[in-house]
Amino acid sequence: MSDLPPIPRPEQRPLPPAPGQRRIVLPPHRQRSRRPRSVRIREWVRKNLFPSRSGTLLTLVAGTILAGILTGAVYFVFVSANWEVITHNRWLLFAGGFPQGEAWRLWVSIAIVFTLIGLAYGTWSSMGRRDHLFVALVGAFVIFLMAHGGAAAWSSIYFLIAVACLYGGYLFTVRLPRETSTRRTWQQRIVGGLMALSLPVVLLILLVGGEVGPRNLDGFVLNLILAPVGIVGGIVLGIPLALGRASSMKSISWTCTAYIEIVRGAPLLGWLFVALFILDDIIGGDLIVRAMVVMAVFTGAYMAEYIRGALQALPRGQYEAAQAVGLTQTQRTRLIVMPQALRISIPPMVGQAISIWKDTTLVSVILPLRELKGNADSAISQFEFTPDRIEAYVFVSVIFWIVAFMMSRISQRVERAQGIGER
Amino acid sequence: MSQQPSTPLPPPDPVPLIFQRGFRRLVQQGAYIGVTALLAWYVYDALNLREFGFGFLDDPAAFKVANQWITDIDGVTNNRITMYLVGVWSSVRVIFVAILLSTLVGVVVGVARLSSNWLVARLAMLYVEVFRNTPLLMQVVLVYAIFLVGAPIIQEVLVIGDFAFISNRGLAIPWPVPDAGWWGVPDWFVGVWVALLIAVGIIAMTVRRQRQQLERDTGQPHFANRWAFGIFAVGALISFIALGLPVSIDRPIVEGTRYLEGIVIRPEFAALTIGLTLYTGAFNAEIVRGSIQALPRGQTEAANAVGLSAYQRMTLIILPQALRQMLPSITNQYLNVNKNSSLAYAVLYDDLFRVAGIIQNKAGHALEMFFVIIVTYMLISFLISVVMNFINARVTRVGV
Amino acid sequence: MRLPSLKSRRFVSALMFAGAALLAGALIGACTSDDDDQQAQAVEQQQQVMQQQQDQPQAQVSGEPRGNTIQLVQDRGTLKCGVKQTQPLFGNRDADGNVTGFDIEFCKAIAAAVLKDHDAVEYVDASDASTRFELLADGQIDILIRTTTITSSRDMELDVDFAQTTFYTGQGFAVRKDSGINSTSDMANAAICVQTGTTTEQNVADHFTDIGLNYEPTGGLSQDVAAAFFEGRCDVLTADASDLASRIVVRDDADDYKILPQIISKEPLAPGVRDYDSDWKDVVNWVVHGLIRAEEIGLTQANVAAMAANPPNTEVARLLGVPFEGGSVSTLGFDAVDAQFIQRAIAAVGNYGEIYDREIGDAIERDCTLNALARPLPSEAVDCGPGEGGILYALPYR
Repeated sequence: MSDLPPIPRPEQRPLPPAPGQRRIVLPPHRQRSRRPRSVRIREWVRKNLFPSRSGTLLTLVAGTILAGILTGAVYFVFVSANWEVITHNRWLLFAGGFPQGEAWRLWVSIAIVFTLIGLAYGTWSSMGRRDHLFVALVGAFVIFLMAHGGAAAWSSIYFLIAVACLYGGYLFTVRLPRETSTRRTWQQRIVGGLMALSLPVVLLILLVGGEVGPRNLDGFVLNLILAPVGIVGGIVLGIPLALGRASSMKSISWTCTAYIEIVRGAPLLGWLFVALFILDDIIGGDLIVRAMVVMAVFTGAYMAEYIRGALQALPRGQYEAAQAVGLTQTQRTRLIVMPQALRISIPPMVGQAISIWKDTTLVSVILPLRELKGNADSAISQFEFTPDRIEAYVFVSVIFWIVAFMMSRISQRVERAQGIGER
Repeated sequence: MSQQPSTPLPPPDPVPLIFQRGFRRLVQQGAYIGVTALLAWYVYDALNLREFGFGFLDDPAAFKVANQWITDIDGVTNNRITMYLVGVWSSVRVIFVAILLSTLVGVVVGVARLSSNWLVARLAMLYVEVFRNTPLLMQVVLVYAIFLVGAPIIQEVLVIGDFAFISNRGLAIPWPVPDAGWWGVPDWFVGVWVALLIAVGIIAMTVRRQRQQLERDTGQPHFANRWAFGIFAVGALISFIALGLPVSIDRPIVEGTRYLEGIVIRPEFAALTIGLTLYTGAFNAEIVRGSIQALPRGQTEAANAVGLSAYQRMTLIILPQALRQMLPSITNQYLNVNKNSSLAYAVLYDDLFRVAGIIQNKAGHALEMFFVIIVTYMLISFLISVVMNFINARVTRVGV
Repeated sequence: MRLPSLKSRRFVSALMFAGAALLAGALIGACTSDDDDQQAQAVEQQQQVMQQQQDQPQAQVSGEPRGNTIQLVQDRGTLKCGVKQTQPLFGNRDADGNVTGFDIEFCKAIAAAVLKDHDAVEYVDASDASTRFELLADGQIDILIRTTTITSSRDMELDVDFAQTTFYTGQGFAVRKDSGINSTSDMANAAICVQTGTTTEQNVADHFTDIGLNYEPTGGLSQDVAAAFFEGRCDVLTADASDLASRIVVRDDADDYKILPQIISKEPLAPGVRDYDSDWKDVVNWVVHGLIRAEEIGLTQANVAAMAANPPNTEVARLLGVPFEGGSVSTLGFDAVDAQFIQRAIAAVGNYGEIYDREIGDAIERDCTLNALARPLPSEAVDCGPGEGGILYALPYR
């Protein structure tokens, strides 16, 4: 469909030929490419920015707004803002109470995660110019942050090593042949397995031995731990819940429905309230563990709904065909139904993952866990930084934006690779 | 062989019990119910429900609740459940306004994202990508912080045309109040006017329907909407004058450090509502864009072919059809607005969640308070669903 | 509809991997956090004991020991101290993520006394006033040192017991100097920023009911309402006078604000411990008294070692838990805490006056306030000596 040349719209009349040019009648799409660049640019500007009088007005209004936002942002970032509140407190914001002597655990974990991202990118996708630009921009941002005010040269080098790991992993896998073969299957299995193992491995590295306990997970590190635990736990809980809700056995479907609807009925803030006040009698344990349980339970209900939607979207013929070839119910679910349902439900599940990533900010509102936003609140209570509230909050927002934006881009890539949404 | 009907088929081997479908289901369900009951019993046992009860909600509240509108209920003399209801009312206001505004933002930005104007489309995309990918909590606290820092303090209040004031204590605007009018009637007289307005409204709607029917029958334009609006406006004006101006506009004034008269939109309310609007608006915009793109291209082309303007094409052809597609997702977003309104906890707005927290802090009974909270949120969600289902039923009544 | 591709099946197996991995992670987590397990077990035991006692009504005698926090802390090797992390001077975090402030010094002193290591403290955030007592009741913290007022209702209704007061203050009001407000009677219909979930919230409601005026409250978390006040959102900020002073003094424009002399309540701020654990409360009590006594008799962080080596009199020897002139060692102390616990506390953080000077210093005047030593003044003296003229009075240690 998209390979065909665009059909010219009625209002798009071919331009009169430039003087001194031979009159050769070509199809319009070829005509355009023949004309010199300056003409093409002028035409693009005319068509996209100044098509008519009202269109010009719209462009001017939008341009004014954009210019206002840009000048405001530039003025704020480079002139009026005092970023010392961030640069001075970068360790507090990044890892808070994590013992500085054990910082190597953080760097090793980051390097592992970055390597895995690189491996996954190389296996299932490839990096375009925009991806390189994004990595470069984020890298420059982080390095600037750490180099500012000195005394963090080593952190910059560690971060650069982590980025090098990312590219190393990427370059390693992207060169492997892509055509379907046993080798390729094994490559995908290994990378997928490594990714699945990464969370426990990172937790092991962070928490085993030394003087580090779960309580030391603090600042941005806490966000980075809580969100994946919530997402993975949510999917693991969501699949049986969705199957249970769709089950033909009344007792199972009713209880699963009740669970899903009750969890979705109250806001996450309310469930964190439960973690603090009510769960102590039921599961006890450290608050950070309870927060993880609540994140997983909460996400699970939403994931279950998305998977159930996908189950309902499957044509009945799929079930019937599976039955006809004599698969048992377990085989049907495992081989026919779930793979398709999960594939359909990837986009909303990634949306939920982004949402839970953003919602990790809520733990410091109710629970005594200091994640990035909580530590930003501490930073602006320090002596010299009381007026720098907006700077601190803008910084926190930007950090969350970077990760969430990356997740949404990756999900778009997965959607395109899997052909989801195409009909 | 098979042509010998006289030979009776041997009776089938009895299927062992454990392979019988009914039996297996029974066992599975039994096991499941057993495990669930065990879990439920464990939770029940751990929860220590001996003191479970809602009597504490009837005790005096002994705290004040800010951000009241219309209601002016004093927390020192009233009981806790009354103050909780004040909090519910505050939440409902935020949810209602945020839903309206976020829909508006969503439609405008969603259409702008598909604009043929490059700059407008980019601007809309910038908005969506920024606000969809940052935490709502940060948006709310940032809007609040920016308003507190950016707006002038009350001593240097910004006056707009002598009738509105902006300071970081809020935006004060004129507000209609019942008045004695020409005839010196009591306040309840305004009710008569409202009743008259409703009557005029019904008449206007009847005329509209008749003219629409005419339009359909004859194919000639009968300007149903213009007629209805005209009838309503004229009727409202005439009844207003005839009843002796029972409503007057209260202009705000600044006295010392506070606003008197008029109505004040408080910064806490504004921050929460704007935060919710911007955040939900970004999601709504994506939903609107998606449903417009899902329409067949032929719709646009047909509209072009019959010579509709871009505005007509959008409002008459594209949006009404896209509406059916987007309603379920939009409803989901409205339910999210309901739940996200609990972020009032992070700005200084006394919504139901914060009031419940205060009560819990004073009286304990966390389980009961949580029960109350979840039931309230579910009720509001239920209300939103009912309204949206009604709209959905109306929109999808006419088949394509 | 496409048939399931190999790719998506692989996705499912990856998910199953993930599930298994999560379980493994949970197991590992359960195995590795030994100390937390111990603590959890200890809390569990404690709860079991409580449960048993509740199940047997005849055994439920008020005051019977139900927990043994000292044992818990010593087994764990760290003290879990619930502190504020967003208030300058009293409890805040510095750039390295460390917690600093007046309250923190007492956590260190108690850790030094009980664990012989003033760094063996795990600071748990108790910044939100609404949830702090739950943390204590829940066993998330061993002690709450978080500008918490002793009140009868908290003592009676909540699962909290208060030790010796560490700081005396009262609820005050901060206003802009140019606002023309000089007392609460000038605050008719004023916008007042007040922290919710605290005694201040109720005090101010009571006070304004008493004087028959109305006000417009704006409530929230402590740091949020303070920020709103400084931006001009409210006319008045009300909180403990020490809280107000700490928030004003860190500002560049501190001179624009004043704290009214009017104090509408008594706010003795004290460490909170769990109910029915008098041993633990005793330790906390005597650490605080010991630090005050050290100031009274001139023991400092600098000279405590010399004094312990060569005590000048029997009282110092007793306080520091060392023999006097070759005599026997004082037997004061507790079963689980030896007699030198006050010596360690002083060596770790100094005496009360030193803590005050180091953490609060000149930000909040000390001389002639309640937090100065109750030293009898010469009858003709008008000015208090440094650190004198208050009501701090250490109980006799003998």
